[in-house]
Amino acid sequence: MSSITLAFSSNGTLPLAGLRTGVGGVVVEVRASDTGRADRLLALGVTPGARVTVLQTFPGIVFLCDQTELAVERGVAESIIVHCEELRS
Amino acid sequence: MSCHIVHERAGAAAQTLRLRARPLRVALVGQPNVGKSVVFGRLTGRYVTVSNYPGTTVAITKGRALVGAEVCDIVDTPGVNALDGTISEDERITREVVASADCDIVVQVADARNLRRALMLTAQLAGFDKPMVLALNMVDEAFARGIAIDGPALAEALRIPVIEMVAVEGRGFSELRGALAAAARPYVPALPHASGRAVWAHELTERVRRVSTLSLAYVQETLARATRRPATGLPILAAVLYALYLFVGVFGAQTLVKLLEDGLFGQGINPAATWLADRFIPVPFIRDFLVGQYGLITMGLTYAIAIVLPVVATFFLMFGFLEDSGYIPRLAIFCDRIFRVMGLNGKAVLPMVLGLGCDTMATMTTRILGTPKERLIAILLLALGIPCSAQLATILGILGGISFVALATLFAVVLGQMFLVGWLAARVLKGDRSEFILELPPIRWPRLGNLLTKTRLRVWWYLGEAVPLFLVGTVLLFVLDRLGALTIIAAAGRPIVTGLLGLPPATAQILVMGFLRRDYGAAGLFQLAHSGQLTGVQAVVALTVMTLFVPCVANFLMMVRERGVKTGLAIVGVITPIAIFTGAGLNYVLHYLGVQF
Repeated sequence: MSSITLAFSSNGTLPLAGLRTGVGGVVVEVRASDTGRADRLLALGVTPGARVTVLQTFPGIVFLCDQTELAVERGVAESIIVHCEELRS
Repeated sequence: MSCHIVHERAGAAAQTLRLRARPLRVALVGQPNVGKSVVFGRLTGRYVTVSNYPGTTVAITKGRALVGAEVCDIVDTPGVNALDGTISEDERITREVVASADCDIVVQVADARNLRRALMLTAQLAGFDKPMVLALNMVDEAFARGIAIDGPALAEALRIPVIEMVAVEGRGFSELRGALAAAARPYVPALPHASGRAVWAHELTERVRRVSTLSLAYVQETLARATRRPATGLPILAAVLYALYLFVGVFGAQTLVKLLEDGLFGQGINPAATWLADRFIPVPFIRDFLVGQYGLITMGLTYAIAIVLPVVATFFLMFGFLEDSGYIPRLAIFCDRIFRVMGLNGKAVLPMVLGLGCDTMATMTTRILGTPKERLIAILLLALGIPCSAQLATILGILGGISFVALATLFAVVLGQMFLVGWLAARVLKGDRSEFILELPPIRWPRLGNLLTKTRLRVWWYLGEAVPLFLVGTVLLFVLDRLGALTIIAAAGRPIVTGLLGLPPATAQILVMGFLRRDYGAAGLFQLAHSGQLTGVQAVVALTVMTLFVPCVANFLMMVRERGVKTGLAIVGVITPIAIFTGAGLNYVLHYLGVQF
């Protein structure tokens, strides 16, 4: 598990889907897709610069963004790229 | 609570509140679940359903309010996360309201905890160039979570009045009324892209908001966690369903129904009515019309008041509690994967659970779903398998008295059928599934006042909606009986009813009534079962067929309104044979296995 995350985290950024419960970070990018996913996430406050913390990873991913609890499927969490201080250190 | 009016364009106020040909129109706009409907209710004195989940309001409601000496038209709108880009059908409705030339002032209602998101919407609203007021609602909850917002600084930055409120407690309304006169066009740099608006909102939020780590909301946070994690969430779900069964299925459908049916109607009203009719009405035809086998009182009223009302009332009470607690959207996390197989995502749990209250209303709630394909599948599944409260009443009343296994068989068959039809529909229908992204509302202790108002209004609504149809249905049955048509229907239906489904011939007329309203048909089954004319297997088969029917005429009309005549007819055309053949299959299997309930 740690080797996989380390591969991603050479510069400290990785998809939200790769974070463990309780780990947080700052959103650096929301990857766009043709489903309008990025639009919807932006509207819910998942924007570059927003602080996110993973609350739960199964059965779906639940995370806290600012003061909003959001539940998303894995594919969506893959497209949210966060910068995670904990992993860089 | 103070009103911070910093910027006032000369004459702007006078212009907005000048005598005019029509009332000033004020639109309440904001993110989902921020309390627009509560503000609307307090301003206009009109109650619109208030719940603790996004998407309670999916249509606009208008009401009048007196502000100062001026009459205003207040418009409550469905919650919006965005007004451009990828938006859902209910968001489009709000966009039209704001864009319309009739809209004079926009009051943005915002959740004080989520200022950043609120400001992203403010930036979009600014593009419509309407005078605005920003109302920060739920400042008490924000405070409990250690969030403080500098209102004057925010008002200065935006150049519009910013007020703080706790709408459910009625705090901040005089400030809101006062601020309307000072509504102004917000000062927001022109930001055409969502990402630019996000940066602006982020920077402004950082400037005016202080967040301390102190949180007083410990209990809520613990409950919020427990309800969404599988290890604790699934046992909680089981406990909630069991409590629902005890309160609605046992207390409502058995204790209260017994009290009303055998007591009030069986020993009080019906004998009294019969006695009065025998004595004072010389014409046997009219006597039968009122108190005969298909009598308006002995059948119509008894069905509606004694059999269905107690269950509907207990159900609405419990359901309102769950709605206001914020529990229901959390189920979406558990349902997402199963729903995906049916071409939906977890969000569809909202209309599905609401369907247990009323399928017709739930059909409208499908507007919160992302794509036309998802809406169609959800509408189809609602009509096919979700029993509404009135029908749940009769199911619990009949099968609760037979055995738990009988009840489980019915639900297993109906759920299995929904799953199968959903799976097929997901493959046959064209279009896409949207991705699962859902905001979870905070867990809150429901407010007794709102709970009682909501339940009372829903019970009244049931009485107004269902009772007339029950009575019309009874009159229809009476007329058909007199014309001898019932025997013809029974004869015509014989191959299906007695042949395929193995039911007594009398069930044919009940199935016909089931087309009008399936709970009415089910109430007929209830009486048949009560008088010992149905075996356990027959009861399960008959109820399964009835549950799979299209719920009622109103539901059909709503499907037509939302999706067009062709789709409405197609849904009925698909569902009716499914209902009958599933019943036939079940009858065959149960007999083959020699099951007796």
